[in-house]
Amino acid sequence: MIKGTVTNKDSFLNHVAKSLGRPRTSTRIEKPVWKYSPQQEVFKGYSQDELVKVLKLQGERIHTDVIETLVKDLPRALENVVMGYGGDSVVTWADPRFEEFGLTMLLNEGLPSKQVDVHVWDTELGDKNTEIAERANVGITFSDTTLAESGTVVLFNGKGKGRAVSLLPATYIAIIPKSTIVPRMTQVAEKVHRDNQNGEQVASCVNFISGPSNSADIEMNLIVGVHGPIKATYIIVNDK
Amino acid sequence: MKVSLFVTCLIDMFQSDVGRDTVELLEHLGCEVDFPEGQTCCGQPAYNSGYLKESMESMKHMINVFQDSEYVVTPSGSCGTMFHEYPNIFAGDAEWEPKAIELANKTYELTQFIVEVLKVEDVGASLPARATYHTSCHMTRLLGVKEAPLTLLKNVKGLEFTELPDKHNCCGFGGTFSVKMSQISEHMVDEKVRHVESTKADILVGADAGCLMNIGGRISRTGKPIEVMHIATVLNSRK
Amino acid sequence: MGMKIGTAAFKERVDQGLSDSFMRGAVSAAQGRLRDGRLNAAEELGNWEDWRSHGEEIRKHTLEHLDYYLEMLVDNVSKRGGHVFFAQTAEEANEYITNVVKKKGAKKIVKSKSMVTEEISMNEALEKIGCDVVESDLGEWILQVDDHDPPSHIVAPALHKNKEQIRDVFRDKLGYKNSEKPEELALFAREQLREEFLAAEVGITGCNFAIADSGTVTLVTNEGNARMATTLPKTQITVMGMERIVPSWEEMEVLVSLLTRAAVGQKLTSYITALTGPKGEGDVDGPEEFHLVVVDNGRSKILGTEFQEALHCIRCAACINVCPVYRHVGGHSYGSIYPGPIGAVLSPLLGGYDDYKELPYASTLCAACTEACPVKIPLHELLIKHRQKIVEKEGKAPVFESLSMKAFRMGTASPTMYNIGSKLAPKMMKPFVKEDKIANGPGPLKNWTSIRDFPAPSNERFRDWFKNREKEESKS
Repeated sequence: MIKGTVTNKDSFLNHVAKSLGRPRTSTRIEKPVWKYSPQQEVFKGYSQDELVKVLKLQGERIHTDVIETLVKDLPRALENVVMGYGGDSVVTWADPRFEEFGLTMLLNEGLPSKQVDVHVWDTELGDKNTEIAERANVGITFSDTTLAESGTVVLFNGKGKGRAVSLLPATYIAIIPKSTIVPRMTQVAEKVHRDNQNGEQVASCVNFISGPSNSADIEMNLIVGVHGPIKATYIIVNDK
Repeated sequence: MKVSLFVTCLIDMFQSDVGRDTVELLEHLGCEVDFPEGQTCCGQPAYNSGYLKESMESMKHMINVFQDSEYVVTPSGSCGTMFHEYPNIFAGDAEWEPKAIELANKTYELTQFIVEVLKVEDVGASLPARATYHTSCHMTRLLGVKEAPLTLLKNVKGLEFTELPDKHNCCGFGGTFSVKMSQISEHMVDEKVRHVESTKADILVGADAGCLMNIGGRISRTGKPIEVMHIATVLNSRK
Repeated sequence: MGMKIGTAAFKERVDQGLSDSFMRGAVSAAQGRLRDGRLNAAEELGNWEDWRSHGEEIRKHTLEHLDYYLEMLVDNVSKRGGHVFFAQTAEEANEYITNVVKKKGAKKIVKSKSMVTEEISMNEALEKIGCDVVESDLGEWILQVDDHDPPSHIVAPALHKNKEQIRDVFRDKLGYKNSEKPEELALFAREQLREEFLAAEVGITGCNFAIADSGTVTLVTNEGNARMATTLPKTQITVMGMERIVPSWEEMEVLVSLLTRAAVGQKLTSYITALTGPKGEGDVDGPEEFHLVVVDNGRSKILGTEFQEALHCIRCAACINVCPVYRHVGGHSYGSIYPGPIGAVLSPLLGGYDDYKELPYASTLCAACTEACPVKIPLHELLIKHRQKIVEKEGKAPVFESLSMKAFRMGTASPTMYNIGSKLAPKMMKPFVKEDKIANGPGPLKNWTSIRDFPAPSNERFRDWFKNREKEESKS
């Protein structure tokens, strides 16, 4: 990666330091040991099953259907949701988990046999992917990490995992392996922080998605579906 | 128990009957009440208007006046809050900060004193009426006294209590705000009066003379049949 | 439009606000819902006060070491291939942004909601060089279509408009033919804006929190417009006020949790997007070029002063949503894109007392704002500090007030003077008293009695009663 340019850094930061009434900081500053850490208390000690319950309850509050299924029933469940959203056209990530979870048949044959176009994100095709996603009826991705408290799927985008798949289609389906569920955002943030400290680069785009897009800008009435998907379904798979 | 009364300038000059009720109530509960005569004003009007120097002189004066008191009790959440602000205002002042802390630590709003120090929840009052209660801002938010007045009111015999809708909203007094921004204040107090009316209460009870003067003044001007009463008066009623 | 909106004097703006009954109905209903939402979200956590204290300690630490964390941030952004420009002034920021846009030959720009770009009048600068700048937040877009009506709230900018007004704006300006149902209005906006997103060459965003140790910018939205603006255009420019930064992901997470709860009572908004540099190698979508513009524009003047805590603000609008003054006068009365309590603190700091000296007085100091703030900014205390400044340093307080405060000092610091004054009061007031009240008071009382009665001074002061009683008791 070519380094970007930085302009006016020293004059600006010297001025900031001067305003703070001291010379510019030149040594490493350690974060203090915080006096409070309430985020650690949320759903502390909850089992995976208890977290599933929390997630389902939150799904209702964010206008998202939440379905629970076994791995062997996943193809059927996914097909039902796709067809329930009107079929037509689907775009998915290029993600080995589709195969691991036995969905290859459905995507390659099952859905096409029902006149549903399936496009798998293909880096070779470049911007064509975005055009297809923009016209697609359904976007499908796996969840990389799932937050029970807020009903959030966390997507680490990049390469085969296009940003547009969860954004441009009219509807969105997230497949949530049960093992990816954690209590809240705290656990993801800690993981990214650790990785970052170990020199591992964070993905260029991390999306925290909680249900369909919405707005309350007109008379504070909640309207579901503004720029992003209008409907969303989570399918929890009992993978472990 | 020996109690020094900080009566507040508003009550001293405009509502002396509330001061009398406070004294009688405290005596009824077994306190020995004294009134340090040098007391004037807590300094809040000047302090809140940005006149720090002017206000600090009256604060120092008040610190001296109550120096020997064991407990300082005041029938005003807002003025009591001001005493509790003194330590912040004199922070870093070697002479006055410790004195300010001492005063703050022994100062209580009347209902707070009754419930927290005297450990009394029923003062034996009776008043057959329908009432609602205005939670004044400084008392609830800054002094943190929320439950004490309600606890005491609920044990007044014959008093039927209805909660005031949107009780968290300020009545529009705000000291000099009420005259400086009178057009805004008018709309605020009108909304408050509408809410009071909606409870169908005969009596509006409050624990701050300033708020009561504002709401009461508007009720009087618009001719509503609602009586405005300080909580000390309610708690000293034996009807 | 800059921070200042309109040219009318404070009193005229307030009169206009007070007479706008639709706006006031909309604001009080919204306040009710937003306040309940925040309280429920807080209650659900059980330990909200600990959360607030944690938010406060994070903001305090970060601001105290702002130069350090900004340096860390921009080094990391640059490592990831992003370009950074530090702008001391609005002009410098706009010059850089317009240059980037010119270099790209861009004509169409989509923007997701950002207060700092409003503050620096970025849209006007871009329009001057012939660009079409499209706001994509639904509320902001409505205002833009309505000939740049100013925002009245920092989270819900079109709060002052009702759905019928919005329908008429769409009909008159864009040929909209459907009803005033919010769903239909939003669908229309979706279709119109989708075209704009697809056509835009540059996406411009604000920044909720920049993360120093990874070089990430975090965007918080419900609509997904910030995602659109950072997924489709080939160039992304993010503009941030220099204080909008946290040390690491761990603190970002806490502040986002506080922000979404305090703003709208949500655990998280529909979309939180964390972007680090331009798109990665092998990525298909996302910007090829990423620019971060860090803006001072008066903020450094606040650092190191008694107002530094004002920079802790995370722009959630919780203080606005509980303010009883905002409730009645609405956002436009403040004459600033930053209304409500935080606006009354911030606007005079960024824009000076000449334009904003009334704002610190547009508060009853009821402290509802201080109680609501998720990072514990003592807003009402900062308003008092403004008043002190105005009195002591600026000499801008009315002469009458300063005279009466001198009298206050004489009357309250000395018991003798107090005694004389309070004793005289009933006699002096006597001519004005009718039926135990004063309905038409003299001097400063006039503003009081123009709307309410004033009590007549008690015939016997409390202190006289007490003294007499003691005498009687000692006799018996």
